[in-house]
Amino acid sequence: MSEPAVTIRFDGNGRTYRPGETLAGEYRFESLPAAEVKAVEVSVLWFTEGKGDEDMAVHAFWRLNAEDGTTLDPSQPQHFNTVLPNSPLSYEGLIVKLRWCVRVRAFLHRNKELFGQKTFRLGDVPAVKALP
Amino acid sequence: MARSFRWYDKKRGHRRTGSTTLGRAGELAFFAFLCLLGGVGMVVVFKLLIVPQWRVNREFREHTCIVLDTHVREKEQDEGTVYRPEIKIEYRIQTAENQDDNYVAWTYNIATALDSDAQNAYSFLPGKEEAAAIADRFHKQQQYPCWYDPADPKIVVLERGYAWWLWLVFLVPASFLLIGGGGLVYAVLHWGKSAEHSAAIAQRARHRDLFGGNGRGERMFPHIPDGADITSSPGTRLQFRLPIGTSPGWALFGTMLACTVWNGIVVVFAAVAVSGHLDGRPDWFLTMFLIPFLAVGVFLLVLFVRQILIATGIGPTLVEISDHPLLPGGQYRLFLSQSGRLKMSSLAVGLICEESATYRQGTDARTETRSVFRQELFRREGFEIRHGVPFETECAFAVPDPVMHSFRANHNEIRWKVVVEGAAAGWPEFRRTFSVIIRPAEESPPHE
Repeated sequence: MSEPAVTIRFDGNGRTYRPGETLAGEYRFESLPAAEVKAVEVSVLWFTEGKGDEDMAVHAFWRLNAEDGTTLDPSQPQHFNTVLPNSPLSYEGLIVKLRWCVRVRAFLHRNKELFGQKTFRLGDVPAVKALP
Repeated sequence: MARSFRWYDKKRGHRRTGSTTLGRAGELAFFAFLCLLGGVGMVVVFKLLIVPQWRVNREFREHTCIVLDTHVREKEQDEGTVYRPEIKIEYRIQTAENQDDNYVAWTYNIATALDSDAQNAYSFLPGKEEAAAIADRFHKQQQYPCWYDPADPKIVVLERGYAWWLWLVFLVPASFLLIGGGGLVYAVLHWGKSAEHSAAIAQRARHRDLFGGNGRGERMFPHIPDGADITSSPGTRLQFRLPIGTSPGWALFGTMLACTVWNGIVVVFAAVAVSGHLDGRPDWFLTMFLIPFLAVGVFLLVLFVRQILIATGIGPTLVEISDHPLLPGGQYRLFLSQSGRLKMSSLAVGLICEESATYRQGTDARTETRSVFRQELFRREGFEIRHGVPFETECAFAVPDPVMHSFRANHNEIRWKVVVEGAAAGWPEFRRTFSVIIRPAEESPPHE
């Protein structure tokens, strides 16, 4: 049996979005029995990479709990959509990088977690080159 | 891939981040311990210090006694000798069976009465004179009022009232309780929640806080400073006068403070070393040890003198801008005014962008800054600024498009600045910065 995994797909296969545009897509779990899943969290967020400690902020967040009576069928694709904010835009700097992503986290029994994320670009800020 | 509990999370660059679960468990344990410590401390302070005083003032019965003897008891401690007055008194109390019980006790206040073995330092005073003055107030064979404990008549005092410092003692366990309790509530609220869930909760709380963040500006342009301080000062030529990053006065004060404190300490040690040499007993270890410290002292002195020259000799720099915040691709006008009495080799104005990253290294927080963009807006060479006639110029410039906007988070920042750099004959080079905010060109209405 193959390992459980999360697949995230954006509508229109878009990877670059403009502020105010709607980000829509779906996620699906593979090889994951329904009885295993306690809760699922979907976040649209940005995080920083680079020299500094990580900063992170969540733009949109959804949590589905099996305990609340929500049916969590991992084999069925689940849709999400959100209007993207004006800022911060994706950025590829020298010591600061800012990335946007959709992150899906499934909380399983026996304290296990299944995690998947797919990055996208917000805005079209070009990558920075070092000054001469 | 599914994963269970890990001692360590993923490796980020050259740093390995710790397990979130383990970290939160540690956090919870730490705050619980602080809370417990504060709680126990409060109970102990209350029971041992507050309740006895309260009982003396509220429940002890007034009576009379005869003073038999007085003395000042001394107690040796690590911090030195402490003292307390002790008064030997005799008093009679009629029992329920109409019998007189005779009591003799060494006492003064409740701290002394409850500590007949003189074990507790809090019943003592630091000064012998103070203790002796109290003891001298009581004369042998004279009658004085006293107050005894109806539940245990052996406990008697000659002095009532509340010691104010006892309430200060409360601050120690109270602060432990407050920090521990607050941390515990935070840790419990975030227990078992993912980083995204915790961040979402914090963000919702921030949006509810009307006084936090930048209000509507923050919601329209999250994580972009609103620049209210920049547009608070109107200009005389153009719309806004930009506030200076670090005023020369503050820079001068900072270097003066650093120079005085550092050199003040170094001079004391240097005096010891020099006097040793003069007395013919040179301490070469101290002398060699002092050399790098002296070098830093000289460097700070040079820095201080340089700041004096810049602050007094080079006049104020004013920068005004036609609009703010700036947008990528936007066309703006900039006004520069430089006062002083200077023969300028060069005066240049630039628009720069800096990345700033703060990271933890051991227990230190370090910040690294890197310039990633520089555009010269104005440059003039070889001219003179006369006293009372400031050099003034206006220039037009365009913000490049596309370009990254200003950005501020807890550890990472992208800052845009207008920088004025000057070199004048006979003066040190100077650099004055003025922050500006660049917002993204495109915007959509805020949404909840």
